[in-house]
Amino acid sequence: MSQLLDRDRLIRWAPLLVLVGLVILFALVNPAFLSQRNFARIAIAAAPALMVAIGVTFIIIMGSIDLSMEGTVGLTAVLFCFIFLATGGTLATGGWLAIPAILLVGALIGLVNGLIHVRLRIPSFMASLALGFVGTGAAVLLTGGNIVKIEDDTFRALLTWRIAGFPLMVYVVAVLTLLASFIQSYTTLGRNFYAVGGGEELAHASGLNVRRVRILGFVLAGVFYAVAGILQVAKLGQAESVSGANFMFISITSVVVGGVALWGGIGGVWNTVVGVLIVNVINNGMVVIGLPDYLQDGMLGLLVIVAVVLSTDRRSVSFVK
Amino acid sequence: MSTFIKDFIQRETISRRNFLFASAAGLTTAAVPGVFGRGAAMADSGGWALAWSYRDRASAYWNAIVSGGEAYVESLGLSRDDMTNLINEGSSEKSLADIKAFLAKNSGKGAIACDPNDSPNARPVVEAVREAGGYISTIWNKTDDLHPWDIGDNYVAHISWSGEAPSEQAARILFDKMGGEGGVVHLGGIPANIPAIERLNGLKNALKDYPNIELLDAQPADWDTTKAAELMASYLTRYGDKIKGVHCANDNMAYGVIEALKAEGITGMPITAFDGNPEAVDLVMKGELLATVFTNPHWGGGIALALAHQAAIGAFKPSEEPKEHREFYGPSILVTPADAEAFKKSYLDSTPKYDWNDRWGLSAGGIVYR
Repeated sequence: MSQLLDRDRLIRWAPLLVLVGLVILFALVNPAFLSQRNFARIAIAAAPALMVAIGVTFIIIMGSIDLSMEGTVGLTAVLFCFIFLATGGTLATGGWLAIPAILLVGALIGLVNGLIHVRLRIPSFMASLALGFVGTGAAVLLTGGNIVKIEDDTFRALLTWRIAGFPLMVYVVAVLTLLASFIQSYTTLGRNFYAVGGGEELAHASGLNVRRVRILGFVLAGVFYAVAGILQVAKLGQAESVSGANFMFISITSVVVGGVALWGGIGGVWNTVVGVLIVNVINNGMVVIGLPDYLQDGMLGLLVIVAVVLSTDRRSVSFVK
Repeated sequence: MSTFIKDFIQRETISRRNFLFASAAGLTTAAVPGVFGRGAAMADSGGWALAWSYRDRASAYWNAIVSGGEAYVESLGLSRDDMTNLINEGSSEKSLADIKAFLAKNSGKGAIACDPNDSPNARPVVEAVREAGGYISTIWNKTDDLHPWDIGDNYVAHISWSGEAPSEQAARILFDKMGGEGGVVHLGGIPANIPAIERLNGLKNALKDYPNIELLDAQPADWDTTKAAELMASYLTRYGDKIKGVHCANDNMAYGVIEALKAEGITGMPITAFDGNPEAVDLVMKGELLATVFTNPHWGGGIALALAHQAAIGAFKPSEEPKEHREFYGPSILVTPADAEAFKKSYLDSTPKYDWNDRWGLSAGGIVYR
């Protein structure tokens, strides 16, 4: 029994150990990696990705998958810029209206995503991938392939204003992560995600409205994607139809590396936080230690496999698909 | 699982499944018609249908290419909708399949301009066009061993833009601004992508004349703004104050670099870029960017389609033209703070009208292989 307990505990903390190990490894090769300024750089790179990854975490806990993030982030980023500019072009003169509006748009996209998946009974993989393409297409249509810029210094303070060395957006992300953790652990909806992911048939037969939980999950994910869209604009000062590019790979990889199981029911928001940090520390560290660029992709792949091997309890599953 | 739960779930699923089959059947029939634009008004084009095959509409660059193609079509007295857009979304297979379908629909009478997406795809594409009896010009991507004159008149021309010389010019401006000394970093395109290699080579050529400039690092950021911001942040950790200038292989990556520096409160770092997109020209005018290179995609898009179509209607015979008319470089213009305003006025605020019968007027010479 005690042996089992140790194993469980080890697996639970493995992602964090991987993260600490990576930090030590990179710091040994180049001490500059450990500087506060570099941590701030990693945090800026990780901020929008973390919001996307937390959104998809809820879906993966349910045992589904959501691949609509690139389209959703692209479309919300572009719409955010349009609304921001239409309502005055500065945060003070009414541009703040764009923030609640875009969170609503994110929720709506998530709702459509969930409805397509649940009502039409299309696997979430296909439904969300298709909706992601629709999102990117809509963003191309809106922008005509051009870039939309936001130059309001007040809004850009999310990137440029630092408290204790970290930009404001990092604190925003920290607060929202706490909120996500609260939803996961202290709300009925959060517990229901685990019920669905742990055994959908059982949950269904016990009287849980699984379809409603699924739809709400996608709505919640959509809101987090919208936050990522806004942060992406804050980070780059611009939006275009491809603003969401690469988020699919980064977020899903981070979630899995952090120890959230793709088959559902295992892991949570904090696993995702560690996963996102692992991926971003690897990306940053490889350049900082001067690894040749042709080795970087291969190294990222290898480290991801190692992290997954260490951080997921694969003994409990009989099939891996 | 107990039989009770099983039966319960089954009861719920069956009616739903029938509905699904029915709606799936409905969807497929709805999606079939109208894939290609209309084939009307072909009389004005001498009976030839016109098409541009390219990546996507998600960048200013491809939009400018398409606007050139449309300008040519309009010069024939047709509507811009008479040019079919074959969008390959970065897939070589789709590029080839679209072109074959377009030719089949028009019984081979198609004049096509095309970026084959990657070099190996150029050969199957031009061979498919030759077999169908159509005419094609390609831009950017083809293998070095594939030449229009080996395929015949159906493969009219190939246009590319040399990245090396203009990138070298931009690097020289950068080095002069740095006072001829200090460290420089390069952010490149997708590795093995020809323009990415050429633009880095241009930088290296310029380095030979500046012994006190050190190339600290050159890594790919895949033409992408977000990746460039993150790469630049990592460069800052590794090299810190040693970085005195930044050389980017395209505009989009330069936007990311500017933002990464803004996050650190660094201003006044000299940065050069490539592509001459409107936003980049604005940044040059504001002094946030030192230089960018304009490749006139509007002209490139127009002339590529014009060459294919004019060969199709017999306005000229490709095999009678010299080799430098079958494979040539498009123009490139360096945009610096001194001329940015004039450049913007003449190229971006209003699009110049080109004489599409002046087929090689803006050519920068025949393509040279090394």
